[in-house]
Amino acid sequence: MAATPDVTDAETRLETLVDTADRIRNAIESVIEGKSDVIRLTVTVLLAEGHLLIEDVPGVGKTMLAKALARSIDCPVRRVQFTPDLLPSDITGVSAYNQQTGEFEFKPGPVFANIVVGDEINRASPKTQSALLECMEERQVTVDGETYRLESPFMVIATQNPIEMEGTYALPEAQRDRFTAKIAMGYPEPAAELEMLDVHGASQPLDKLDPVATTAEVRALIEAIRAVYVSQPVKKYAIDVVAATRQSPDLLLGASPRATLHLVRSARAHAALSGRDYVIPDDLQDLAVPVLAHRLLPSMEAQGQHRRPEQVIDELIRRVPVPDIK
Amino acid sequence: MRLPIAAGLATAAVSLTLYPLFEGGAWFWASMGAIVVTAAIGMGASRLAAPPWAAPPAMVLALGVYLTAAFTGSKAWIGFIPTKDSVALLGELLGGGFDDIQRFAPPVPANTGITLLTAGGVGLMAILVDLFTVRLRRAALAGLPLLALFTVPAAVLTDPISWPAFVIGAFGYIGLLVADGRERLGKWGRAVFVRRARTVTADAAPDTGRLALSGRRIGVTAIGLAVLVPALLPNLAPAPLFSFGVGNGLGPGGGNIGIPDAIAELGGELRQEANDTVLTYTSSDDLPRYLRIYSLDVFDGTKWTVNPLRGRPEDRVSEGPLPPAPGLDPTMPVKRAETHIAISDDIRTLRFLPLPYPATQVAADGDWRADRNSLMVFSTDDEAAGLDYRVVTGEPEPTPQQLDLAAPDSSGRRYLDLPPGLDPRVAGLAQRVTEGAETHYQQAVKLQEWFTKSGAFTYSLKASGSGGDALSQFILTDRSGYCEQFASAMAVMARMLGIPAKVSIGFTGGTKIGDVWTVRTHDAHAWPELYFAGVGWLRFEPTPGGGAGQGTAQVPQYTLPVTPTASPSPGASPGASAGADDATGDAAPAPRNPREIDRDLGGVPIVADPGMPLLVKIAIGVAAALLILLIPAAVRLSSRYRRRRILDKVAFAVPDPDVPDPRVGDSDADLIASGEASARKRRRAVTADAPVRVAPAVEAAWAELCDLLIDFGRARRPGESPRALGRRVTETLRPDPGTTASITAITSAEERRRYARTVHGPAPVAVDLKRVRQALAAAASRKRRLGAALAPLSTLLRLRALGEKALDGFDRLENIRLVAGRSRGGAGDMADDTAGNRAVTVRDVQENGSSQERSLTGSRS
Repeated sequence: MAATPDVTDAETRLETLVDTADRIRNAIESVIEGKSDVIRLTVTVLLAEGHLLIEDVPGVGKTMLAKALARSIDCPVRRVQFTPDLLPSDITGVSAYNQQTGEFEFKPGPVFANIVVGDEINRASPKTQSALLECMEERQVTVDGETYRLESPFMVIATQNPIEMEGTYALPEAQRDRFTAKIAMGYPEPAAELEMLDVHGASQPLDKLDPVATTAEVRALIEAIRAVYVSQPVKKYAIDVVAATRQSPDLLLGASPRATLHLVRSARAHAALSGRDYVIPDDLQDLAVPVLAHRLLPSMEAQGQHRRPEQVIDELIRRVPVPDIK
Repeated sequence: MRLPIAAGLATAAVSLTLYPLFEGGAWFWASMGAIVVTAAIGMGASRLAAPPWAAPPAMVLALGVYLTAAFTGSKAWIGFIPTKDSVALLGELLGGGFDDIQRFAPPVPANTGITLLTAGGVGLMAILVDLFTVRLRRAALAGLPLLALFTVPAAVLTDPISWPAFVIGAFGYIGLLVADGRERLGKWGRAVFVRRARTVTADAAPDTGRLALSGRRIGVTAIGLAVLVPALLPNLAPAPLFSFGVGNGLGPGGGNIGIPDAIAELGGELRQEANDTVLTYTSSDDLPRYLRIYSLDVFDGTKWTVNPLRGRPEDRVSEGPLPPAPGLDPTMPVKRAETHIAISDDIRTLRFLPLPYPATQVAADGDWRADRNSLMVFSTDDEAAGLDYRVVTGEPEPTPQQLDLAAPDSSGRRYLDLPPGLDPRVAGLAQRVTEGAETHYQQAVKLQEWFTKSGAFTYSLKASGSGGDALSQFILTDRSGYCEQFASAMAVMARMLGIPAKVSIGFTGGTKIGDVWTVRTHDAHAWPELYFAGVGWLRFEPTPGGGAGQGTAQVPQYTLPVTPTASPSPGASPGASAGADDATGDAAPAPRNPREIDRDLGGVPIVADPGMPLLVKIAIGVAAALLILLIPAAVRLSSRYRRRRILDKVAFAVPDPDVPDPRVGDSDADLIASGEASARKRRRAVTADAPVRVAPAVEAAWAELCDLLIDFGRARRPGESPRALGRRVTETLRPDPGTTASITAITSAEERRRYARTVHGPAPVAVDLKRVRQALAAAASRKRRLGAALAPLSTLLRLRALGEKALDGFDRLENIRLVAGRSRGGAGDMADDTAGNRAVTVRDVQENGSSQERSLTGSRS
């Protein structure tokens, strides 16, 4: 076979990647039944160096998903329960006076972990929310003039409850924009729920979950994904799709340039997870709803017709022509 | 408010096309008056917001008042209020107008009755147009009355309407449509639907000018095509609606060919010193024949003239046999002969063919047409000089008994008209001369005998004049003249006796020189023709022949007094010589087929190109249409073939791999699953060094797949990626694994071609496409399959895309103009803008910035 070493190398890297990602997915799936799409998207976001917003009713396994992901990669995971009285320093950490040394010493907050689970993020005050969101974007924490780098990989999995209205501070659109994707867990299938009863009745499956990858491996995966090829037509397609949201009469607010960035980045991960070293429009199409929907504000007309941004995006995807080579 | 005016203008423009029907312009001004009156009433009704049903009756009333004032003002009360008298007079005039129109061939004299009729008719059309346009707001329907008006000259005149007149009329109609559209849009604040407006300018003033501009442009294009296309298409040439050449009606006479003053020329020719050869001819029976050029059937007291000729396109001599000879009973035996005539090159303008009478077929180059009434053959385009043509004649050979029995019939009545004021002595003389004759035929024979023998007439070229007095002078006193006087006198006297008669002008049979008959200037001749029902027109010869008369004039056999012992001079009687023909003809007067070619002619039957039969023409037309319809299918086939060749070329150019295909990408997993080995074997592994070579094949396969899907009604949707397309097709078709693999091979290769770094992996082969096509065909209905083969949608869409491109070009042109126009009027528009309007403008700009194709609406509130 006349393949060049480059190609072979890329192929092996891709195979390793798919292999590792599959292991992580399988591990999570052993804990959460029947949610392979959600799990796949979670892994995609992890590999795309993004953050995930899970919006769903309580008790469908949001926290379980986050924990399972964290445990399967053998990395520190911190969980923050957001409450109205939570302070920014409760997230980032504080400088405390050490009487022995006579110096102020930085006590890292829960954000100093590879995976941070922010439960019910919309219950915290906007000030605290923004503190977390700043960490998400900057991947660093500045306390008392000192800047501390966060771990890599760093992923925030925030959950929020759509029903609870009292005492919540809905994330403003600027904050929502920082999450790469928003997913809804959804109720499990009856069969999956039955199995869950069987498994969870006996023991806590999370305890049995052994790490299947190391942080170093995940870092390598992230590195590999950056090398996934995005052709010019696909880039143009991403821009077209995002631009279409800005022009749609059904949307008051379209997606930001950051959304384009997130879309392409997660599409890379999505392609790699499919064993491809190049992105195709289908990757973007699959990701458009989770990546874009939470950033959009429907117009009054669309709200009046009970059209959700998800529907609008589906329509746009059908309409925006898939680009050919020029 | 503009609409009634536009309606009036449209009617006026279309009524211009009536001009070839009339002599003089009186009808025009009267019609314009009628239009102005109706338009004024229409405007009044619009201004006063009168109910729509009220306007037409008001207009009819106004039209009546106008016609009363214009035509019967003297009888009306204070000039225009209709009274009993004026109405009666109006009716009388109308009746007269109707009669005149029946009587006259166009161009009709513009007498009062006809003018009244025209003005009234145009006025009624104007009312109808106004009704449709202004009252019913169906401007397009107003085309019907306008078309009716336009049809009048088109139907009555044989000659085409000149194209400038058509263009003016069409512009009238377009103006009407534009005015209607403007008014309609004007009621909206602003409703601009610009096709794919890419550069809608910020100026969003309620402006219909842009639309009107498009409308006018489309209109102008349509008119241009309507005029040019028939002119360019050879098939439409025989009956062009608009003429470009001679006789296009721009000159006086309305396109009818005029006859030169034949009589005056005749005398001139006979008096000429030089006796040049005019023509030579040979005939199948080698007998001389009179060659008729003109047939004059109207006597106005001084001279013989001719009714306007009608040379219809279908009477073109090249279209087949000539119209049947008037009055000739089809059962009457005829003697057929073919004459081959060659006209001298030196002859001056001659637009009529010298022909023996009655000709049944003429084979001549050029656009020669026969007049149905007189069988004169003429052309408006071609000249006879130098012409070489062949004529078949079918001369009746009546026996005196038959002629005696010929009862006068109604069709000859027109040829009995004589002007008042002729000398009554002539009529008396005619009665006297023919005393004792019992039938018209015997009267005619006696009359001829009187002229040639008993009347003591002498032949002299010195006689002059052909006036009414000159005629009676010639008959009663002088008794000296030449053929013209003789012919005219006999024809007039025959008419006095109740025998339909006319005067023909042409040549005698000439002299035989060598093998050919030669006709020279001095053989120019005039002779009377008399009509006998069942036989038609028969030539008589009152002019003395021989040395003392017109040298080559000959008396026809049937005009000689019936004497059983009479032995005519040899060769002098055309009827007697063809003995065999005579015998059979007399023995068996079988009905003869006018289209039959005479087998006795000996020579090659005349090949007057009969033109193609209608059925053949239709068949050819249908075949051509079918061929045109099949063009898309042919284009489709050729593109399919081309793509297959590309595929094959690439498949054989890429070296066969030693190892099985490298499995790259998840799509290949499907391939394995399908277990499709044979196609895979043919599919070549494409390595990184061959992307350039394989790309065309991938592209071709993909293009073919897309076209196939379009043809079978499963076209690719705009937001569908190659992979999604393949998925949809396999999900809906549920084909066998092999076809699934083929589809996947094509789509995944295309996907790689488009989005991967290199075209990598197996390339599709021709078999893949074949399988897909079979699967698609199997899943499609019979109708769909037929459609895919005969009228492939993919090609049709491509053609439409071409058309769209052309339209885009037009759009661009339009934008150029609009931008130029805008910069001029911009300041004024802005000044008019209210604050609210400006807000709308700003919003529009935003919307335009964000969307490419949108119908913009906004209100001026």
